[in-house]
Amino acid sequence: MPTMIWMEDICKTYRLGEVDVPILKGIDLTIEEGDYVSIMGASGSGKSTLMNIIGCLDRPSAGHYVLEGRNLTTLSDEGLAYIRNQRIGFVFQQFNLLSRSTALENVMLPMVYAGASRSQRRKQAEVALDRVGLGDRMGNRPSQLSGGQQQRVAIARALVNRPALVLADEPTGALDTHTSHEVMNLLTELNSQGITVVIVTHEPDIAAQTHRIIYVQDGLLQREPNH
Amino acid sequence: MVKAMQKERLSTLELPSISTAEILVMAIAALWSNKLRTALTMLGVIIGITAVIAVTSVGQGVQSATEANLQNLGADILRVRAGSVNSGNVSQGSGSATTLTWSDAQAIASQVRVAETVTAYLEQNAQVVYAQNNTSTTVLGTDTNYAAVNSITLQSGRFFTEEELENAQAVAILGATVKDDLFGSSEAVGADIRIQGQRYSVLGVANEKGAQGRDNPDEQIYVPLMNMSARLVGNNALNGIAVQGISVKVTEQAQLEAADFQMTNLLRVRHNIHPSRGDEDDFQIISAADLVETLSSTVGLFTIMVVAIAAISLVVGGIGIANIMLVSVVERTREIGVRKAVGATNRAILSQFLAEAIAISAAGGGLGVGLGVAIARIAATLFDFPFVISLWAMALGVGLSFVIGIMAGVIPARSAAKLDPIIALRSD
Repeated sequence: MPTMIWMEDICKTYRLGEVDVPILKGIDLTIEEGDYVSIMGASGSGKSTLMNIIGCLDRPSAGHYVLEGRNLTTLSDEGLAYIRNQRIGFVFQQFNLLSRSTALENVMLPMVYAGASRSQRRKQAEVALDRVGLGDRMGNRPSQLSGGQQQRVAIARALVNRPALVLADEPTGALDTHTSHEVMNLLTELNSQGITVVIVTHEPDIAAQTHRIIYVQDGLLQREPNH
Repeated sequence: MVKAMQKERLSTLELPSISTAEILVMAIAALWSNKLRTALTMLGVIIGITAVIAVTSVGQGVQSATEANLQNLGADILRVRAGSVNSGNVSQGSGSATTLTWSDAQAIASQVRVAETVTAYLEQNAQVVYAQNNTSTTVLGTDTNYAAVNSITLQSGRFFTEEELENAQAVAILGATVKDDLFGSSEAVGADIRIQGQRYSVLGVANEKGAQGRDNPDEQIYVPLMNMSARLVGNNALNGIAVQGISVKVTEQAQLEAADFQMTNLLRVRHNIHPSRGDEDDFQIISAADLVETLSSTVGLFTIMVVAIAAISLVVGGIGIANIMLVSVVERTREIGVRKAVGATNRAILSQFLAEAIAISAAGGGLGVGLGVAIARIAATLFDFPFVISLWAMALGVGLSFVIGIMAGVIPARSAAKLDPIIALRSD
């Protein structure tokens, strides 16, 4: 299977005042195309930092990161914006929807930056909202939607530019058990349609639904059990 | 593997830039969602641009009205007024002294070669009555040259003659407004009116002429100087018939200075004034051009002053926009993070915030231009001067508001664009 993510010796160090704090201390990671992966670890282990580097929201301090055969290590800000827009869909714990925009407008946002025409944007956003089962709530603002519905809008937004990779950082962290289940079903369904899905979670039963679990501890990957 | 990857051309990984229309739509949507703040932010620019447009337009209107007045007053006329008498340090104003006489006027007419026509006048406010109608107006005692020097023409009847002047006849010529006030549409010539209770026969009615600065000839009544001096004012000059002013029409405009010089010398001799002894003139000679020049420079100075104040208001308005935009960037840090996370480039964020600043400022400028034009129009109607729209002032107003928007927006927009997406997303 072709490689989606290839990382070699990824390090990330933050400077806190006078002290350098290493968060990631040399991560080697390969994720195949179409895989369904969860990243687990205690808080402070560096799993979110790793996720942000995978999602091109942050840059590693050292190491190499190749996504779909493209070396992103030396890519410009504009190049990273392109990757975030075209290749990756990001889902956050706190949904991160624009509160003054409707569900439809939120989903259309990535397409605005992709330069899509107005009609094309609308059509594709409607398809994406239908896909997450919110075809009838397009005109609602986030405050008029439940947490589960807001997360589904966020997933529709992550899908709208047809990414190869969907990243979800604690996607069920702010949801109750029932809606967590809905959201996980949705992510599982996306994966079954061929999209590579990577989830950060600290809940073992959520991780259990994925095909592969990676453990991060003190900035390093733990040996994976065979699967 | 890595080295092979690095050879790949990454320059193709760029999103197309967003159209200006798209950016404008986003900017206006953001501004619309906080209408009160947007309106208050605009206020500084609105006030500044309104002031610039209104003041320059009013200034130009007054200037052109002044120029029109110059034509009316006559550019080839010199006016002699009885000069200010200083009692202590208090100026009593020109015309208050009774130092000019009818014989001064006659001396100027006969001895100043470049004086073509000379006329003298005496004026006083008086109550005028016809039948049930009465009006308070200015009665002007003058001679037969007055109409010619002041370009007054008659719509009916005639001016008084030299003989009627000498004989101090009780006859009167009415200004157009006075005629309307007293007679309405009925015939005035031949009727008798009463001025301060004394009977005068109406000889003629003047054509409408319009206001000339302080004076409005349409609201005046002309009677023979000798009659006015004897019957309406007590003559208090020791040496003949006192007059308040003498108007001299010179043969050609180029002779104004010569006339001024000759008249000054003549009057000094007649009034026994020796400047070498430290005497001060008891008369003033003014040309219409002097008056217009004084008025124009006053209006010009006033315009510059108000425009300067307006410029300060614009600067303050610009700072207000910059301030609000900075606050807005901080408030919307998370929104900026979200936009970047879904693929907004630094450039797209920069454009959006810059567009917001420009939209506020330009909208303020547009409203200011509209408001300024409206105020100038109302002022022109109210104070009766021509309404002049100055295109360059409008272009300047709009252009200025754009420049202010760019200057006010560039710093906040840059700080928004430079935000790290991770840090932006973490903010609350």
